[in-house]
Amino acid sequence: MKKLVSVSASSFLTLMMLSACSDTGSEEASSDQGEWSPTNNLEFVAPAGAGGGWDTTARMAAQAFEEAGIVDVGIGVINREGGGGAVGWSYIANQAGDPHYLFAASPPLLLIPLNGQSEYSYEDFTPIANVIADFGAFAVRDDAPWQDLNELFEDMQDESSSITVVGESAPGSMDHVQFVNIAKAAGVDPGSITYVSAQDGSAMTNLLNGSVDVYSTGVTETIEQVRAGEVRVLAVTAEERLEGDTVEDYPTAIEQGIDEVFVNWRGFFGPPDMTEAEVEYYVNAFTELNESEEWDAVRERYSWDEYFMVGEEYKQFLEEQNEEMRLLLEELDLYGESE
Amino acid sequence: MALTVHRGVSIVLIIIAIFYLYLAFQLPSFMNTVIDADTIPKITGFLLIILSVLYFFMPVKETEVEKEKRTEAKNDWHYILGMFIMTFLYITLLEVSGFLVTSIVFIFVCTRMLGYKKWKTNSIVSVLVPLFLYLSFTFLLNVRLPTGFMPF
Amino acid sequence: MIDFSGILSGLQMAISLEGILFVFIGVFVGTFIGLMPGLGPISAIAIMIPMTYNMDPTIALVMMAGVYYGAIFGGSTSSILLNAPGVAGTVATSFDGYPMAQQGKAGKALAIAAIAAFIGGTVSVVFLMLFAPVLSSVAIQFGPPEYFALMLLGLTAIASLSSGSTIKALMSALLGIMVVTIGIDAQTGTVRFTFGSANLLEGIDFLVIALGIFALAEVCALIINRQKTTFNAKTIGSLKITKEDFKEMVGPMSRQSVLGFIIGVLPGAGATIASFIGYTTEKRFAKNPDEFGKGSIKGLTAPETANNAATSGAFVPLLSLGIPGSGTTAVMLGALLVLNVQPGPLLMTENPTLFWGVIMSMYIGNIFLLILNLPLIPYISKILAIPRPMLISLVVVFCIIGVYSISFSIFDLYVLLAFGVIGYLMRMFQFPAAPFILAFILGGMLEQSFRQAMTISGNDVSIFISNPLSATLLALAAVSFLFPLWQSYRNKKNNNQTLSM
Repeated sequence: MKKLVSVSASSFLTLMMLSACSDTGSEEASSDQGEWSPTNNLEFVAPAGAGGGWDTTARMAAQAFEEAGIVDVGIGVINREGGGGAVGWSYIANQAGDPHYLFAASPPLLLIPLNGQSEYSYEDFTPIANVIADFGAFAVRDDAPWQDLNELFEDMQDESSSITVVGESAPGSMDHVQFVNIAKAAGVDPGSITYVSAQDGSAMTNLLNGSVDVYSTGVTETIEQVRAGEVRVLAVTAEERLEGDTVEDYPTAIEQGIDEVFVNWRGFFGPPDMTEAEVEYYVNAFTELNESEEWDAVRERYSWDEYFMVGEEYKQFLEEQNEEMRLLLEELDLYGESE
Repeated sequence: MALTVHRGVSIVLIIIAIFYLYLAFQLPSFMNTVIDADTIPKITGFLLIILSVLYFFMPVKETEVEKEKRTEAKNDWHYILGMFIMTFLYITLLEVSGFLVTSIVFIFVCTRMLGYKKWKTNSIVSVLVPLFLYLSFTFLLNVRLPTGFMPF
Repeated sequence: MIDFSGILSGLQMAISLEGILFVFIGVFVGTFIGLMPGLGPISAIAIMIPMTYNMDPTIALVMMAGVYYGAIFGGSTSSILLNAPGVAGTVATSFDGYPMAQQGKAGKALAIAAIAAFIGGTVSVVFLMLFAPVLSSVAIQFGPPEYFALMLLGLTAIASLSSGSTIKALMSALLGIMVVTIGIDAQTGTVRFTFGSANLLEGIDFLVIALGIFALAEVCALIINRQKTTFNAKTIGSLKITKEDFKEMVGPMSRQSVLGFIIGVLPGAGATIASFIGYTTEKRFAKNPDEFGKGSIKGLTAPETANNAATSGAFVPLLSLGIPGSGTTAVMLGALLVLNVQPGPLLMTENPTLFWGVIMSMYIGNIFLLILNLPLIPYISKILAIPRPMLISLVVVFCIIGVYSISFSIFDLYVLLAFGVIGYLMRMFQFPAAPFILAFILGGMLEQSFRQAMTISGNDVSIFISNPLSATLLALAAVSFLFPLWQSYRNKKNNNQTLSM
């Protein structure tokens, strides 16, 4: 409550300042000098509902920014839910030219536009910095017949099998694609994979009651059920084993001889048409965040991996990822089929 | 075969159903699933056509009560239309002029239009209610309402 | 079987000063947000999340749970007074609550709702305490075919929601299904009926439909009757419930607190289905079902008991399995993750204080809700004594702010207005709105679970009858659908016979 008051007080102050100097056009003035800093409160947009991955990333980053004193203005986090992110992205696109808006992003920013479900793609926005990564996990019931990933994929290659995979995302988005990506590397035909989408949160229930056979999800979602002995994780999509209780026992796909990974990268993007000075301000801020104790504590709390990238490196990474996803979706017969 | 009210209604419904079906038949098919994204819409559309046709041929006779309900607005239709137009303007101006200003004007004008003549009470309420809503949403609930051109 | 030391430590926590304080804050904020037009429990919890950041997880959950059932509790007020349901779970409350308020008995209607909610809430907490672990294993048996059967059972309520013409009710329901198919299809990702608008990708929100078709359409009716004298402010707030009234409430309260709880336990079903099924079962059992929809005490008691009982039920899968049973508990799960608590099957044994503390605090929360709400009723119900022209303008502003605060989208407001027009037209031609909204609420899940089941079975329809649970539910649905038809057929035949005699 106290924080709320202080945030609103500070926003009131900035408003007063803004109106005091509005006739001089503060934004233009500062970008002429080659440096820029926010003149107003920042808004971090999570293009999804409260409690999800984007939301947590945005909220935690906002909190750490304020706690570590990196940003002088207040940061509000708002949720713009809808269309797997499309609603939030079009909101940001409408803020073109106002650098006070950032949004949290991850692979769906590539996948949803590739599926033809968003008029804006990652190229329309200004990539600022990638901060973290986490990974996918494939879970089966404890009494399932498969002891490792290869046994599962062998069974899937047998045409008479009726193995179904469940995930929380839409077909052609995260949970589906991360599974297909690994399965394809093991020689399974992507088109033959039966994927059921359970967006109402019933995915784990359906795995437990035997409606489906495999649950493709994030690592954290599996931990409690694994500890209770209800499910087993056949593989994680990371390059190396993860650190932490329980998750350190999850084998990677690579160590089972399937040379493929899937990174759920998470970073921040800004609206279109940001100036160099504006980008530089944020790059510096995120670099400082990445090295701060506060952010380190956050990473540890959620067992997120550090995955920091800015500038050209980030752009190139995104291009490569996008190309990889495009090829994968093409094979799934999902790519751009809507128009 | 006179065109009664219920037949008119069923024709409108048939047109809606045909339009919906037309869109449903244009949906792209996906992979090799039998039950595709267009299955349920098609079933729904055809069911509505069947029911509407049935309804068309049903010997429905409008009762006095029903007629009264249908025509109850005959003396007030311009108020209802005025209300919808006012609401439309309210929505359109909401983000332009901000929640406070728009709501104050809307409540005052609307209340007056519908025949409330005590302008003093009206002004007090139309200022206080939006102010209360605005303050509690912004400061207690942390929900941002549009400020428009005003500073708050 | 019952873990007494756990219960004891939970109780200790719940009756500690901190526990009582935060459950009070929770239900207070919940009631306040619930009273606010358009703000439901999901937004209530989302608003509270930032405040819980540095709290002890047990206290945070106690408070959030309080916000949740407080918001449901308070949410019925706008349904009863203004016909503006802000939460799907209180739509059925407006069926008899609003007519009762229109008869000048607003205070009584609110008092009945509050008592029904209190009983539903409290009885279900007893069940929660006794049967949570057992029920969770039942809840988990529900896969796609079972959900499909359950949704179908819920939809059969349409037949009993029609006042008069069954065919009109069915057509109204089909229109509801059409509206719910707008947006991205969850199973294939196909974009349906959006006319290329990004605003429609996620479909149309429940609140937009409910406020448009119920509240804005009702505004038109108020305009027509705006000159009618307003109610006497003194009698309107009277809480007086007679012995006879109470007798009528006992039946629905005892049945619906059990039924509502059981339905609430099923992940995904929740308060809305519980309230509709509650309403229709009571209508079937009633001696004079004709009173339903015209301000029946039973018709108000049933959905209010059921939806509050279902709210506690939704905590069963969350606390004992770590599976969110509803949109609201999903947000709560997210908030718990932020606090570094991951609910799962082991929560009860590893963190008994949290598990039992939340449950025990619900007793206290429900008592707080009752003593907080009852004294407020005379004041709140005076809303109806506001001169009609002013009340009309205020209701419109409430609808706008309600929709805007969940989506921040002007587009949604235009859709709201459009549904206001549709709702008015439906009213004019006497198409019942209840089947429309029910089909809208259930239709999406009906389609998705049907297609999930078909994908899993490889397009073999026998999946619906091969397992006993879904077969039973389907049989129930068939009986529930055909029974009223058969009844009306028999009535007609009897009438004809008497006529011909």
